[in-house]
Amino acid sequence: MARRLVWVPPTLFGLLLLVFTVSHIIPADPARVIAGENAPAEQVEALRQRFGLDRPLPEQFLRYAMDVATGSLGVSLYTQRPVLDDLLARLPATFELALYAILISILAGVPLGVVAALRRNGWIDQVIRVVTVTGLAIAAFWLAILLQLLFSMKLDLLPVQGRSAGWGPEPITGFYTIDALLRGDFETLGDSLRYLALPTLTLAIPATATIVRFTRAGVLNVMSSNAVFYQAAMGIPRTVVIWKYILRSALIGTLTQIGLVFGNLLAGAVVVETVFAWPGLGLFAYNSILQSDYNAIMGFTLFTGAVFIGVNLLVDIAQSLLDPRDR
Amino acid sequence: MKTLRRILRDRALVAGLVIISLLVLAAVFAGTLATFPGDVTGFDPGARLEPPGPVYYLGTDRMGADLYSRLLFGARLTIMVAVLATAVAVLIGVPMGLVAGYHRGWFSDLLMRVSDVFLAIPQIVLAIAIAQTLGPAIQNVILALSATYWPFWARLVYAETRSQRNETYVEAAVAMGASPFRVMVLHILPNIASSIIVRTTIGMGGTILAAAALGFLGLGAPPPAPEWGRMIAESREYLPQAWWYATAPGIAILLVVIGFNLLGDGLRDVLDPRIRRGADGN
Amino acid sequence: MDTQHGTGRRAVLAGGTALALAGMSREAQAARTRFVTANNNPYDILDPHQVFDIGRLAIRLNMYDALTHWVDNPPKLQFWLVNAPTISDDGKTYTFKLKPGIKFHDGSPLTAADVVYSMERILALKKGAYGLFKDSVSPGSTKALDPQTVQFTLDQPYAVFTAILSELWVVNTKVVKSHEKDGDWGAAWLSGHEAGSGSYRLRRFDPAIGFQAERFAEHFEGWANNPRPVDEADFRVAIETATRVLGVIKGEFNTTDGFLPAEQLQRMRQSGTVKFVEAESLRTFYFIINNAKAPLDDLNMRKALCYAFDYDGFIDNILGGTVVRNAGIIPNPMWGAPKNMKGYTYDLDRAKHHLSEVKGVRPLQIGALAGYPQSEQASQMLQAGCGKIGLDVRIVTEPYTTIAPKLNDADRAHDLIPLWRSAYFADPHNWTGYMFNSSNIGAGNSSFYKNPKVDELTDKALLLTDQEQRRPLYEEVSHLLVEDAAGLFINNTKYFGPFTKNVKHVRFCPIGDAQDIRWIEMEA
Repeated sequence: MARRLVWVPPTLFGLLLLVFTVSHIIPADPARVIAGENAPAEQVEALRQRFGLDRPLPEQFLRYAMDVATGSLGVSLYTQRPVLDDLLARLPATFELALYAILISILAGVPLGVVAALRRNGWIDQVIRVVTVTGLAIAAFWLAILLQLLFSMKLDLLPVQGRSAGWGPEPITGFYTIDALLRGDFETLGDSLRYLALPTLTLAIPATATIVRFTRAGVLNVMSSNAVFYQAAMGIPRTVVIWKYILRSALIGTLTQIGLVFGNLLAGAVVVETVFAWPGLGLFAYNSILQSDYNAIMGFTLFTGAVFIGVNLLVDIAQSLLDPRDR
Repeated sequence: MKTLRRILRDRALVAGLVIISLLVLAAVFAGTLATFPGDVTGFDPGARLEPPGPVYYLGTDRMGADLYSRLLFGARLTIMVAVLATAVAVLIGVPMGLVAGYHRGWFSDLLMRVSDVFLAIPQIVLAIAIAQTLGPAIQNVILALSATYWPFWARLVYAETRSQRNETYVEAAVAMGASPFRVMVLHILPNIASSIIVRTTIGMGGTILAAAALGFLGLGAPPPAPEWGRMIAESREYLPQAWWYATAPGIAILLVVIGFNLLGDGLRDVLDPRIRRGADGN
Repeated sequence: MDTQHGTGRRAVLAGGTALALAGMSREAQAARTRFVTANNNPYDILDPHQVFDIGRLAIRLNMYDALTHWVDNPPKLQFWLVNAPTISDDGKTYTFKLKPGIKFHDGSPLTAADVVYSMERILALKKGAYGLFKDSVSPGSTKALDPQTVQFTLDQPYAVFTAILSELWVVNTKVVKSHEKDGDWGAAWLSGHEAGSGSYRLRRFDPAIGFQAERFAEHFEGWANNPRPVDEADFRVAIETATRVLGVIKGEFNTTDGFLPAEQLQRMRQSGTVKFVEAESLRTFYFIINNAKAPLDDLNMRKALCYAFDYDGFIDNILGGTVVRNAGIIPNPMWGAPKNMKGYTYDLDRAKHHLSEVKGVRPLQIGALAGYPQSEQASQMLQAGCGKIGLDVRIVTEPYTTIAPKLNDADRAHDLIPLWRSAYFADPHNWTGYMFNSSNIGAGNSSFYKNPKVDELTDKALLLTDQEQRRPLYEEVSHLLVEDAAGLFINNTKYFGPFTKNVKHVRFCPIGDAQDIRWIEMEA
């Protein structure tokens, strides 16, 4: 564990270098972009100087690395606002989405996986298998559009895109549903849930499929293990064995996958947020890339990378606490 | 029970093989199968957004081109991107993994840390950034995807190589005086090839999804290339009326990815008994 | 779904605005009107001096005031913050008196010093509309003679000076200065806040959602000319077309952009809940041709292209007749556009003939705007036409951010770029001198077009102040550009503004479309 911790800073530095390299070989000229289509050359030059874009690349990198070391992610070339502020402002939207998607995928995925394993090769296992194979192969953006087409445009049940019809509740946590609940504003709560439904579902479907597969495999693994075999031979009722041993280890197995699922969700969020115009980190990243906003792109990537590494560390710790074999 | 399982397993394999074969056939004979072969680049502005029917099997698009014909030609593009991007990723990842797994020390640590860095960012974000940097073109999509996906193979081969490193056959080969290069390529590689093949087959599905996403975001092949992801993006302006415009290419992507995934699962069961023991048929 | 509108509104009222409404009676609250615009561009920067585009014009139009202001169609220039100027005989000195009693949103008076500060801020930031002013106004040349009098001394006479003053948005000096950081002219702060005097005052802003503004009752123009004004104006970002269309049909949005595909217009018509304001706008669509790059420097090559484009197929079929043919670059309704000009037609025989005269033909490249379907569709149309005369054309789609830097660099520029030219100020100069005078190569003349006659005419037109004297000059320029095939001119855009039925009056102006909320009348 300590060894892994030691590697975090160099990994982050590597990330910084990678992202800087990728974003700076760009043929686009951010100064020109900011200045606009018909801006005279001197206007572009002035902007280049202001943002230090005229300095040699190594110098730009050092400057940026030093900023990051002092906890600043710089200022967006495009909006002039601090990148960290924008990221933090958009974090709750993405986390709210990811949280519900993970909840749904665990609540649906674990039972389905267990049932599939217990009824291995029965019709229910076959159905679940077909569904998971499809869930893993479906393009998120297409699924999103199909859901919009069906539930919003044809049936007129749910909004096409956005996070709220109004401005959301006055922020406490930044999670619309939680804030609405805390303020006792059930109308806003309902509104938020309706806007959450489709993007959450889009993210949850592949995540559920992943969890079903791992849970099923985990349960089968435990069922074929000697301990279970022995206990069954001892005459302990099957239900007890299932609940006591199989489920527990299946849950631990699922936990190890949360890190992976979370990473997939963050990746999925870029596309899903773009389709649903969900004002989170993913949409921010996509727009920043289109605007060649170096600072915003680097800020987002570092931020996401750090979150991702952090979540995986937490999962490792939780796992070693839960699983006696690892101690 | 065992035979039944066997058949089921094979069924997945067979289904995967059938789908992939159909894809390849569609790509090869696109010119013959297409009802409007000219619509790869051409169109009939008088027949825009026609719903599916006897003339246009899957309807027409915003320019008045036949979607069925364009989907067939799109299969070529899909195969090309998936094969090339995966091949490049394999060619980078496998040697790196072999070297890092075989030798121990700072170099192998460094290689693995580098792959960690790549894996710490959502793949699609890196791919979008690279594709946007290089500009929208099919070769840039291939480059962006292989630059993003190689660490998966590096990781896999690294882990497999390490586990093989202390096997008797490797020690025997080393004792016989074989060079490290020889040991890696002639002894270890054949033993881990099955895992690589399985991972590559499943990886093809992932690559197709990612390529379609890039196309959808406008970073893929420019028009009029019959790129499936781009077609879905184009359709959004005309929804919900032109539902077929969004549906047809999406189903094509879905089927092909299912095909590769089933094939990969099936191959794993056949080729890799070690995995079969653990994760039975999942 | 109809309740949704109400839900959002109550959610807002429950929050930070409860205080503002506390003093009102129930009836007054119920009578408050709320007008929601769905925009397809993000409102990410509020600073009126950092931004100069159509997508974010609502910010400037509604929360700030400029010295002059455009209304109606065809556009008329009104003196807004000021009265008509006295102009010196050499045409270089403009002296304006401010109208009395103009107040900023914080209640402080707007004075000549604020006008001077705003002018200097534009010249210093070098962003936004800087390009409009840089050739005529030098830093330090603007003077406040007294609190009510401001004087501009131009470097040279400039016929469109009062027209471009519509982009001199006046900011509250005191407020902006108090938020200056490291000599940034308050740029970071004003990017997310507002310090204006406009008809509406900022209430909420979230770059991911949009902004909300409330009516400024003490606005200097008063509200006597609008019996049923909008009290609350919401500007929301909704990138996807289907969302905006559905939103207007359901009444969640009161309007959205007026340039939607024909299929969506039809859908809204069929819904029965939407009415349209239709007008021919001032927004020409054309291909920029890189006149500097061989073989496009050959007139025959350019003519071959102009004859190879299927104008009718594009206008009538692809765009379903929602636009009109515009043979030249100046939009038809604008003065200076020649009447009955004969432009190019789709004529493959002529195209072939001209192509056969060209030496060194090579494959051409179109740089289409990613995310703008019409831009991609026009590119495919031209590509198909060229294919029929044996000319190979490749399309590259790039986001505007990648194309923009190439517009002014002849070597890196694409051969052809399909683009719109909107009205930033309603003067033929906007489409001619600005875009084709050779002195603007590198800043506006993205065609790299050089023609001494065009230079002479457009320069001369800028020194004259009488519209009737200027008109024939622009008409001649317009003809020259077509004869020279300086660009591939396709169409002028029609505005089909969808509105919910409770909107009673809209005053359309091609500059800003109908986003100038102060003229909108609606029922509660």
